[in-house]
Amino acid sequence: MNKNSSDHYWYYLINIILVMIIIFPIYWTVISSLKTPPELISADQTFYPHTLTFEYYERILRWGSQDKEDANFNQRGSVMAGNIFKTFINSSIVSLGTVFLSLIVCILGGYAFTFFKFKFKEFFFIFLLLPLLIPSVTLIIPLYKLLFNTGLMDKHLALILLHTMAMVPLGIFMMRNAFSSIPKSLREVAILEGSNDIKILLTVMIPLAIPGILTVVVFALYISWNDFVFAYLFITSDENKMLNIALKQIAHGGSQFEFKWGDLTAGSVVSFLPLIIIYAFLQKYFVRGITGSAVKE
Amino acid sequence: MKRSNKEQLIGYLLILPAVLLVLIFLVYPFLNSFYMSFHKWPIFGDPKFVGLKYYIKLWNDDNFWNALYFTLLYTITVTPMLFAVALPLTLLCNIRAKGSTIFRSVYFFPVVLSFAVSAYVWLWLYNESYGVIIHTLKNLNLMSDDFNIWLTRNSSLIAVNIMITWKFFGISMIIMLAGLQSISDDFYEASKLMGATRLQTILNITLPLIKTSIALALILSIAGSMQAYEPFLILTQGGPANSTKSLVMHIVDTGLEYFKLGPAAAMGTVLMILLLVITMIQLYFFRKN
Repeated sequence: MNKNSSDHYWYYLINIILVMIIIFPIYWTVISSLKTPPELISADQTFYPHTLTFEYYERILRWGSQDKEDANFNQRGSVMAGNIFKTFINSSIVSLGTVFLSLIVCILGGYAFTFFKFKFKEFFFIFLLLPLLIPSVTLIIPLYKLLFNTGLMDKHLALILLHTMAMVPLGIFMMRNAFSSIPKSLREVAILEGSNDIKILLTVMIPLAIPGILTVVVFALYISWNDFVFAYLFITSDENKMLNIALKQIAHGGSQFEFKWGDLTAGSVVSFLPLIIIYAFLQKYFVRGITGSAVKE
Repeated sequence: MKRSNKEQLIGYLLILPAVLLVLIFLVYPFLNSFYMSFHKWPIFGDPKFVGLKYYIKLWNDDNFWNALYFTLLYTITVTPMLFAVALPLTLLCNIRAKGSTIFRSVYFFPVVLSFAVSAYVWLWLYNESYGVIIHTLKNLNLMSDDFNIWLTRNSSLIAVNIMITWKFFGISMIIMLAGLQSISDDFYEASKLMGATRLQTILNITLPLIKTSIALALILSIAGSMQAYEPFLILTQGGPANSTKSLVMHIVDTGLEYFKLGPAAAMGTVLMILLLVITMIQLYFFRKN
């Protein structure tokens, strides 16, 4: 960049304005969730809450509790049976399950494609890229039937398997790349010394492939935590519901105005907060997952 | 020989989990969707072969054509908006200066949010009485007081397009940025020596060299738009009067609400073929140039 001072001035001015526009929706959601109900629906909206309150967060946590004192509260605006904490746990179970399974599937696959010779290797590699070619959203109907017939309907395992399947192309690709920078002789020497593949994977390969592994972790979390379509169609009971779907019930539920929007903004914050934290620390792995390569600092 | 056989076996075992997942949850449903679309699925009893009946019926199905038309309308309106934002921002992010990494992270940030949560966020911003956007527009008298954006198709479409642009321009941006960074600095030096202006450099050097990245971003964005479901489900719920019903939404309603599995599977197959054809045409077009 030119060190010309007026250029500099424009560069920062434009960027700062753009940053403010991009961040605004998020900022507004966060402060809306912290405003008191009267303030949330007051005629003049302000860019900061006059009185901070965590009322909505407490409300969505208390949902579905059977206490007598809550009967009144439930009437006042609750639209669903399960509480948000339960759906948060459900989403976490599915996300962590997806990460765990994706790691196993992709590390093993990537290891095979890098260090082993077998027939039709190229064919299988391309076969595993199929999820990129066939959009799974067009398969909703047969998938519904498949899950129904196999008893996987309304099971968290169904979502874990579907999300992991979606992770396969990127994950195998990433792990193959990560392993192929490791010299092949390393494994051969270890085998000659009497070591076996499991030991080699755990003690040598995985520590050397950490960046690839982190990309898989971050992306599996991203796919699983953010999934809406599968979670919406294939989880049917309140008990097993995912967080994003619970929020839909608030958004389209018929509760009182100020409570509905307070609950929804608070729920949205609960949903995106974990991702913001992960993004803050591991953002370059996100970028790597999307572009297939790193973007220079 | 013995060792190589054992190697082969281990190789297959290692890729087995991945292959099984793709076989069971992708290839099988893929083939089954053809099978299902040729059959009638009563609630009780066995499926009955009906041949191409559902495909022929689609030809005269107004709801299907409306959904398809709307999906195409959405795709051709949202794509230019995405690139109108993504392209200038790619060039801006390519300038290396203090803090440029931070700016880039912020621009990419909406991509990280889930589709659904982004839609909830904007649902609140767009709320007709207290949403900050509508509220402000009404206060400034730029919008009449009784205007409700969800009451006409076009205003709903614009509102959804703005939300989608905000959410997804980062993907196109980062793909083009990765392409941009693979250009050697020599090109820029040469262009500077020849006395080219900044605009000339962008038009004659930058854009042609990142053509592949632009093509990739375009293919991804068009394929993604054709599969849109969540933004309409959450923001418009298909309304007013089903005028913002996307094809995927129509498939889900037909199949899982009215339990017409055969016709829904037929529509899924049509969408899949359509996506494939559109992608092929784009690939052909970009190859040729």
